[in-house]
Amino acid sequence: MWVPILGLVIGLVIGSVLNVPIPGAYAKYLSIAVLAALDSAFGGVKSIFDEKFNAAILLTGFFTNALLAALLAYLGDQLGVDLYLAAVFAFGVRLFQNLAIIRRELLSRWIDNRKIAKAKRDNHD
Amino acid sequence: MKLRNWQLPLAIVLFMTGILLVSALNALQSEAEPEPRTKSKAESLIAMIETQEKELKDYEKTIDARRDSLAKHQKDIATGKIEVQTLQYELDQLKTLSGVSDVEGKGITVFLDDNNKGYEIAKSKAPEQAKPEDFLIHDKHLLYIVYELRVGGAEAISINGQRVVCSSDIRCMGTTIGVNTSAIGPPFVIKAIGDPDRMSKVLETDTSQYNILKMAGYPVRIEKQKKITIGSYKGSYQFSYTEPKGEQ
Repeated sequence: MWVPILGLVIGLVIGSVLNVPIPGAYAKYLSIAVLAALDSAFGGVKSIFDEKFNAAILLTGFFTNALLAALLAYLGDQLGVDLYLAAVFAFGVRLFQNLAIIRRELLSRWIDNRKIAKAKRDNHD
Repeated sequence: MKLRNWQLPLAIVLFMTGILLVSALNALQSEAEPEPRTKSKAESLIAMIETQEKELKDYEKTIDARRDSLAKHQKDIATGKIEVQTLQYELDQLKTLSGVSDVEGKGITVFLDDNNKGYEIAKSKAPEQAKPEDFLIHDKHLLYIVYELRVGGAEAISINGQRVVCSSDIRCMGTTIGVNTSAIGPPFVIKAIGDPDRMSKVLETDTSQYNILKMAGYPVRIEKQKKITIGSYKGSYQFSYTEPKGEQ
């Protein structure tokens, strides 16, 4: 359970240590990519709870989503349309949906665990 | 077992997400925000510097103009000073010329007196023919001597303390002689400032009034002096008819 969190922390540390200089013009695309990455991560977590986890889907989804989101934002900029808003909207909605699912799942599991524990205690008594 | 299955891929995804997040934040902080700010700041600073340089130039121009006018004024003052000095010099000269100031210098003193001795002798010789007025110093004698002194280059003359100026009158007032409207009597002391040798030479020429008096036996003599003082003219100059001709 701690391995993914450790991965996040290492990523943050390496990112800040490397401190890759990125021009301000690309900051927007990077933000979109971050959003896509977060979406993928939460999607992966959700899939664990759904017991449908697939490493290939997660990884391909992560890369393609991030790249496509950045590309879409760039295209929107070239066309003069704020297309990145579409990506923000799509990812944002899915992020909250996934978060809600995760929250509910965690909550139900916690309640189940308590029930089981209580039943165990009752049985012991 | 299942846990291990999803742990690694998720860790990779989160690892990449972390890198992306930090990069995005860095890009936003270091590029998106500071650059435009510094740019606008630099631009505003440049504009400020430019306006201040312009102001500085304007001020420099004003300084130049002020300096020029100051130099001009100083020049005016200097010329004014010179003018005042020349005017003062002229005034002093005119004062000396008009006799309103005491003056001193080398010159001669001429002593004249009536020929009382000659009169006595003449009376004893021929009482009828001897006329006292023939043995007196008359106004005309003084007038001639004054003019002879002027021929000798006298710059200031006084008779018995009366300064002889250009408007002075020397005339007969009966038993006395009027100089500057004040009556004077013998003995007469004529003081003159000028070249002593030149003046005495003129006075001692054969045809001069002084020489005639001397020849006639009047008690006259000349004294050359290194320093004599002649008092100022105590009267006043009044012009009732004369006006300076306007230069306009």
